[in-house]
Amino acid sequence: MSEIHEILEETAFLQCKVNGVSFEEEIHPSMSLLDLLREELKLTGTHMGCMTGHCGACTVSVDGRIIKSCITPAASVQRKKVITIEGLAGADDSLHPVQEAFCEASGFQCGYCAPGMVFSTVELLNEHPDPSDAQIRKALTGNLCRCTGYQSIVRSVRQAANQKTASGDHSE
Amino acid sequence: MAEQPYIGRKEKAPDRVAFVSGRAHFSSDFAFEGQLHAHIIRSPHAAAKIRSVDLSGALKVSGVKIAIDGAGAAEHLDPIPHHIDPIVFGGRTTDLFCLAQDHTRYFGEPVAVVVATDKRTAQYAASRVVVDYEPTASVTDADLALKDDAPLVVLGWDDNSIMQVPFCGGDAEAAFKDADHIVKTQVRVHRQATQPIETRTYNAIWDEGGQSITLYASAQNPHPMRFALAKTLRMPENRLRVIAPSMGGAFGLKMHSHPEEALICLLAKLTKGAVKWTENREECLLIGGREQTHDIEFALREDGRILAIRDHFLANAGAPGATPGWGMAFLTGLTMPGPYDVGNLDVWANIVVTNKPPWSACRGFGKEITALALELCMDKAARELGLDPVEIRNRNFISSNDFPKKTATGLIYDSGDYAGALAKTVESIGYYDVKRNQEKWRGEGKYIGVGLGYEVTPEGGALPGTMVAGYDTSTVKVDPGGSVTILTGVTDPGGGNRIGIAQIVADELGVAIEAIRVLQGDTQTCPYGFGNYSGRSLIVGGGSAALAAQDIKEKIVKVAAALMEVEEGSIKIYRGVVTSSAKPESELSFNEVCYAAYTRAYDVAACIEQPLEATRTFKPGLISHLPDEQGKINPYPSYSNAAYAAVCEIDPGTGVVKLLKFAVTHDCGKAINPVLVEGQACGAVAFGIGGMMGEEIVFDEGGRQKTRNFEDYVMPRAADVPEIVMKHHDSPNPVTFMGLKGAGEAGVGGSAAAVVNAVNDALAHLGVEINDLPVTAPRIWSAIQKAQSAQKAAES
Repeated sequence: MSEIHEILEETAFLQCKVNGVSFEEEIHPSMSLLDLLREELKLTGTHMGCMTGHCGACTVSVDGRIIKSCITPAASVQRKKVITIEGLAGADDSLHPVQEAFCEASGFQCGYCAPGMVFSTVELLNEHPDPSDAQIRKALTGNLCRCTGYQSIVRSVRQAANQKTASGDHSE
Repeated sequence: MAEQPYIGRKEKAPDRVAFVSGRAHFSSDFAFEGQLHAHIIRSPHAAAKIRSVDLSGALKVSGVKIAIDGAGAAEHLDPIPHHIDPIVFGGRTTDLFCLAQDHTRYFGEPVAVVVATDKRTAQYAASRVVVDYEPTASVTDADLALKDDAPLVVLGWDDNSIMQVPFCGGDAEAAFKDADHIVKTQVRVHRQATQPIETRTYNAIWDEGGQSITLYASAQNPHPMRFALAKTLRMPENRLRVIAPSMGGAFGLKMHSHPEEALICLLAKLTKGAVKWTENREECLLIGGREQTHDIEFALREDGRILAIRDHFLANAGAPGATPGWGMAFLTGLTMPGPYDVGNLDVWANIVVTNKPPWSACRGFGKEITALALELCMDKAARELGLDPVEIRNRNFISSNDFPKKTATGLIYDSGDYAGALAKTVESIGYYDVKRNQEKWRGEGKYIGVGLGYEVTPEGGALPGTMVAGYDTSTVKVDPGGSVTILTGVTDPGGGNRIGIAQIVADELGVAIEAIRVLQGDTQTCPYGFGNYSGRSLIVGGGSAALAAQDIKEKIVKVAAALMEVEEGSIKIYRGVVTSSAKPESELSFNEVCYAAYTRAYDVAACIEQPLEATRTFKPGLISHLPDEQGKINPYPSYSNAAYAAVCEIDPGTGVVKLLKFAVTHDCGKAINPVLVEGQACGAVAFGIGGMMGEEIVFDEGGRQKTRNFEDYVMPRAADVPEIVMKHHDSPNPVTFMGLKGAGEAGVGGSAAAVVNAVNDALAHLGVEINDLPVTAPRIWSAIQKAQSAQKAAES
């Protein structure tokens, strides 16, 4: 005979916007934002790497600041705006300039860390449109990559910065 | 020879947009109707008797579908076939099961599993499984495991050795007697792990109608995995389909015969549903490798020429596992003496089992440890003989005129120019500038050192009697509309070999690369293949696709000649345009010719057999499984190699190492795509750097693993890796397509050696030498402290 376990039945009401779309549902209070995105919303571009906040594969933007969604409770994004990698491109599906640069400069190999790297780069370039190499490497410190040795990623960030400076675009 | 607009170019991934926009699909991204989730209960002890497993508490939880233990699983499952059975090489073997039964041999061994409607319920229910363990004596140290009174890891074995195996040649004993100098050191390499950012996922779907299973898996070798699954599940291979979607890095971890593979398939079968398991990071960190202790000695002549090498080493392979892990230690021995011309070898490997979790393949596959042991001893020899590290290497390298070169262990090196590659690296790193300024810097309190490392990496291996094959197969299909599909038996672990294969076929066929789609990793659609390992993917995947493309091209040329009413020899196809030197005024599109090939089978295309499809196998030469007069074989067609150099600065106050510069000169034969080669080389360098400077798997006294997450296992981050200066030094392999040698595996050992040698060079004035790895700040700091107090004591 199966037993109902209260701990599994608890819920919290969450209201937020993900990639511009409203989300209003009961969720389990211990659910991570990562699981909400991947399992409830099927936004699988946000990746699980460690569940401890160390690898950065799950990086998304909440109210314009990047966070690690694996250690962020979903319940904590109440009335906030979440942008995932699927929502970073323009409405017409045109890539964000940082995504463009990662494509052009081959800024990934397996691509598993790429969404997180893109978010960290977007935030870096918002703060430092023309970063030094040291600033680039520091900004990527929260994101692990096991394939590239970071060489092509740093090159992609540099390319994104050059494009941004050239186009005079300093907005997000 | 076809014109080559694509080969050699920095071609980008055709599907790159999917990877930066979240639309690429990795194994864990798939969810099926009624998707169930598994949670595995693992042993908290390094060794214990399992008195009982009580699943009743878990089974009572609402949402739980099934829970089973080792005895329950054994009713349905046979032992997992070894990826490489030690018995094939004269070693000891044992049956390995998906879940432990009467006793557990290592911390983290799967003991039971719970399946529920969601992850949280499965995890909660798993916490209600009660296992009654009786802990028994365990051993995690390889030296201790060989003592007479050591507890036996595998009950029934006489001792804890899988095998002791010699890699000998010439007369080392006589050479040691005649030597002017004998240089000895102990190189202790610690346990490390591959840790791709994507962990393993298995998602199995049962089809009741077909009585079959489809498994979505992070799998480097889908076909051989299917073979192993079929054996374990007692099902024929034709009722199993393995699909390997995009892989988020592999590095050997995703080679098959892990216990969770067949287990998840069984659970799908028993629940008649879809069951998914994604490894968490703590589980992933259990799977390690590389731990070896080398007591290595060189017998040297006065001028620095090595007369003989003796190296009796111990490998701590952990508990027996069915993945190919243990074989790495075999390869360490086989790859001696690396790039050096030394005929007298006395090398013995003792591969030991302990109560650590089993090894699984780690990029480098043991060959990196050969490089570490040789290169660290080489620098010690240079210091003791007062020779420059460049000079002593140059005096011992195999000469570029001596290839093909048979080594003392029976390997046959295809080609190389080791001194040439080293010279380029020495120049890139500014080696002599560092050497010139070192004294001055030391006077200013700056400890700066430069270190070298050389690595020869046998690639494309084939081991007789195992699923490690030397050949592979591709199918190329051209449609009536002119689009090209390549189905290949090699998989892409995330390095992008699909791009290189497309480049090769684009040039062979004379089409635009945009017309090509490469499909990999599906046992139902791809030809039987062995997947990815041993730097083989472009050698055999690219080679076989080229052969298939050549067959199709021949047909297309015939049809084009018939259409244009010219001689076949006058036809040229370039970027999708077909021309004839006999009729310069007319041209056809590639697509028109393909359409005619299919639709005019009874007139102009009667000269060919439809369809425009070909399947070919590339079987590289040089591999020899027929033992020579000494019983030795050559399991590799190709020997990539590279020279590495690092410059580091050590903070004497803290022991912290900062890498200032890094340089590589790589010989992978022809570089089909320099971006892919650079990516592989730089990635391997980061493995080497990380492995020496931060990564270490440690256990407590009871054999419980203490390294549980990325805070404990410190992998290099962007700020830890300097810009890597990369050069190519191609010496083409005469027996592979276009001279390819493989670029995927080399670099871990050579770069690791360069880092350690740079650290030891920076500390040489203190008389400090650290060959007990890793070279982390606490170890360096205490070595500096010890040296300084010894100096002070001597002065006072």
